[in-house]
Amino acid sequence: MAWSQTTLDSIQKLDAIVLSDVKLKRYAKGYKLTVLSDSLLRKNKTSLTDVLRFNSNIYFKENGYGMVSSASFRGTNASQTAVIWNGININSQLNGQVDFNTISSANYDNISIRSGGGSVQYGSGAIGGTIHLANDFDFKKHFDNRVQLGFGSFDTKNANYNGSFGNEKWSANLGVAYVNSDNDYRFLGTDRKNENGAFSNLDLNFNLGYVLSKKDVLKLYHQNFRSDREFSATLLAPSNSKYETQDYRSMLDWTHIGNSYTSTFKAVHLQEQFKYFENKDLDNFSEGIVNTFLVKHHYKRDFSKRLMVSVITDFSHIKAKGNSFDNPNRNAFSVTAILNHKPTEKLQYNLNIRQDVISDFESPIVFSGDASYQFFKWYAIKFNASKNFRVPTFNDLYWNPGGNLDLKPEESYQIDLGHEFAYKTATLKLNTYYIETSDLIQWRPNNFSGYWNPVNIANAKHYGIEAEIGIKKTFNSHTLNLVSGYSYTETEDVEKNQRLFYVPLHKANVSLAYNYKAFTAFYQHVYNGEVEIIGNTLDGFDVGNFGLAYSFNTTGELLYEANFRINNIYNTYYENVALRPMPNRNFTINLTLKF
Amino acid sequence: MNTKKLALLLLSITFVFTSCSTDDDVNSSPLPLGDYEDGILISHEGNFGQGNASVSFVSFDLQTVENNIYSTVNSNPLGDTAQSIGFTGDLAYIVLNVSNSIEVVDRYTFESVATINTGLNNPRFIAFANGKGYVTNWGDGSVATDDYLAVIDLSSNTLTAQTISVEEGPEEIVASNNTLYVAHQGGFGQNNLISVVDATLDMVSSTITVGDVPNSMQLDNSGNLWVLAGGKPAWTGDETGGKLSKINTSDNSITSIDFGATEHPNHLAFDGGSLYYYASGSVFKMASSATTLPATAEITGLSFYGMTVNNSVLYGVDAGDFTSNGALSSYNLSSNTLEETTTVNIIPGGIYFN
Repeated sequence: MAWSQTTLDSIQKLDAIVLSDVKLKRYAKGYKLTVLSDSLLRKNKTSLTDVLRFNSNIYFKENGYGMVSSASFRGTNASQTAVIWNGININSQLNGQVDFNTISSANYDNISIRSGGGSVQYGSGAIGGTIHLANDFDFKKHFDNRVQLGFGSFDTKNANYNGSFGNEKWSANLGVAYVNSDNDYRFLGTDRKNENGAFSNLDLNFNLGYVLSKKDVLKLYHQNFRSDREFSATLLAPSNSKYETQDYRSMLDWTHIGNSYTSTFKAVHLQEQFKYFENKDLDNFSEGIVNTFLVKHHYKRDFSKRLMVSVITDFSHIKAKGNSFDNPNRNAFSVTAILNHKPTEKLQYNLNIRQDVISDFESPIVFSGDASYQFFKWYAIKFNASKNFRVPTFNDLYWNPGGNLDLKPEESYQIDLGHEFAYKTATLKLNTYYIETSDLIQWRPNNFSGYWNPVNIANAKHYGIEAEIGIKKTFNSHTLNLVSGYSYTETEDVEKNQRLFYVPLHKANVSLAYNYKAFTAFYQHVYNGEVEIIGNTLDGFDVGNFGLAYSFNTTGELLYEANFRINNIYNTYYENVALRPMPNRNFTINLTLKF
Repeated sequence: MNTKKLALLLLSITFVFTSCSTDDDVNSSPLPLGDYEDGILISHEGNFGQGNASVSFVSFDLQTVENNIYSTVNSNPLGDTAQSIGFTGDLAYIVLNVSNSIEVVDRYTFESVATINTGLNNPRFIAFANGKGYVTNWGDGSVATDDYLAVIDLSSNTLTAQTISVEEGPEEIVASNNTLYVAHQGGFGQNNLISVVDATLDMVSSTITVGDVPNSMQLDNSGNLWVLAGGKPAWTGDETGGKLSKINTSDNSITSIDFGATEHPNHLAFDGGSLYYYASGSVFKMASSATTLPATAEITGLSFYGMTVNNSVLYGVDAGDFTSNGALSSYNLSSNTLEETTTVNIIPGGIYFN
């Protein structure tokens, strides 16, 4: 066998050095993958909720603007969407969810959306799909800085700094993102304002890469997100509470590239903590804190250019502390095997299997298979099927009162068939899927004990269609870029024979950008169909944003860009969650300096 | 002697008024007082924070149900978490716990009369004495020292400046003439007190220690206050059994009967000289003269979130899974059989007769 440096090999090696999550690119060929580039993220310098709401099929349930926000992916619930930070699942150990308003989109190089079940590779909660936040490393010689200052309606201020450095041996980047808002917008058609909705978020990000030798690279990732948010009132319930959260994420990654294998060792520390103040004026709070220590090893063996086998093992120790439980802890071990095979140029498939051993309950074997076949240059078919799971959270198991130690993980089976058409600069992705979940954990009143218990009680079915279109047209110096998505999502609570709450049957989004030399204009629009809520339905809504940007001095060393944006341009009254009106028309001005 | 005279005077006045009103009733044709006269009102908490509190009107035979009567009549939503309703004269006071407000309506037409939305913090229950309304308030749930009674001037339906500071976790409140009794269930914690409040002075005159977590009270016809305490639940790590106490309101002397160490009764009702309570899905009946607890249940296999007894009929509401419609059921207490069941709104809690 020859281990010569083919182009393919070197690309793979480069990936291992640059990317934080090689699996995503390498072993997801049968899945729909949507990548939001850094330019898009920068243009939408808002919350991750807003970025994804306008640029993906994912539906968000936001408890008032800037407040707790959760994702529903293909109709699944908030704890069935996994968020992956540089390859590591960061869903809360307490409630299984990620609050998308505590993720700053500003400090990532790209964000990818992988539709479909991914528990084999990404663990618990990867049922509807996974969202991947990535920091990449650039070892090319460079030193870039970007400073951005913004001001907007409702006394919203934001400041960002991003610095990136590289010199063959070292690569470093630093990101700081700060946003502060009174968020006291007027409720349209009333004389009332959004009360108690102020928020302030700070995201600090530092990543360092070092090329140790021709075969070894060390990478350090660190992130700290701090959020101080009031909990806004509803139309019918006043509020004077607030919520402080803090997340620390650190990871050391050592990648060794051998001739026929790659070995990656990761040591990770995650910490999540919250303080809830029922009355923000008092120093009286309840709190919770969780520390996760994780070691993970990924061994990839290339048997040929077309056949690879990966074995991933990880061990984690999780410790929690808080007012509502004693000091529970969990040890978890998992082993995953992945076979990646490309029998012909047109066909590629992956087979995955995973077993978790978790200290406080039994976990099922999960598996997945996916394949992609490139029929023509312009048409590929993609298919995946998987079994996925979600483990009971610390709250589910240990909350006092109610915690139930007899819970078992939620299970889900699904299939997904995708078609991808590509013609010149136009792409069309069509997906149909079917998901069945069982043993869903829900908190129910217990008639005997008199308080609530989580139980494995519900079953759900989801099926639907998703379409994504992208068209880029360039003529002379004009560029037109259209990205659009539509999703039709049917869900059924099997027990009650009704649709799941807060899942729109229809959701559509369009984003259109026009660029001419230094000038850019964009328009984005989201249509969110009506949703079922408890005992009622909540009306759908249409919201549009419009923005202009101009770059000054596009030739010099120093580059300025001014950006003006009108959110909710039609001044629509809408509620994303019942009784929580969202902002009326509002404005943002941003000035960016690059040097 | 003075007391005797006063009592006689009161009695005679009562008699005169009663006779008057009786005469009125006989002489005037019975004009309907509103669409919601002669039936049952069901208050629904709705989901915490979801603003779907409601009131339903149900005929006594449970054959007709009209949901959301407040919003139908007044064309706006009722509020968040309707904890309880208190009645005085022709008015109903709907206590909205999470809205921190009280909606005052005509009890028969349900037309809004006033909204009290200042000065309340986690309001729970209301009772009336001496021309005033007294509302139990937890204050902040996490603070043990800020609990109070808010006082409503019934002539203007506004809060008076005065509040009466009380022990932690005031819940149910009942009035006997000018004396109020407040059960301190304990809010998010567990308490074991009854506050006795003088409505002429608006002061706490004494506190009486009862069982842990007093959750319901009834006044009988002989001047006794019955207090049912549920006991501390197992999850506290300090479980205690329930306790039924009889307090003689003339001297606040108390006698009690203990439940088993893991029995946690609730929903005390009083009808026709008998006490009724709910424990572990069963309803028990006990003569008010009895000195021991009943050994066997009247009706078993129930799931009640609230219950009451009226004219030998047991009414219970089942909140189900709290996200689907609840049910109201009636049981004949002479045969202990189910009479009717009907569907009501989300999380029914209170049952009142109009």
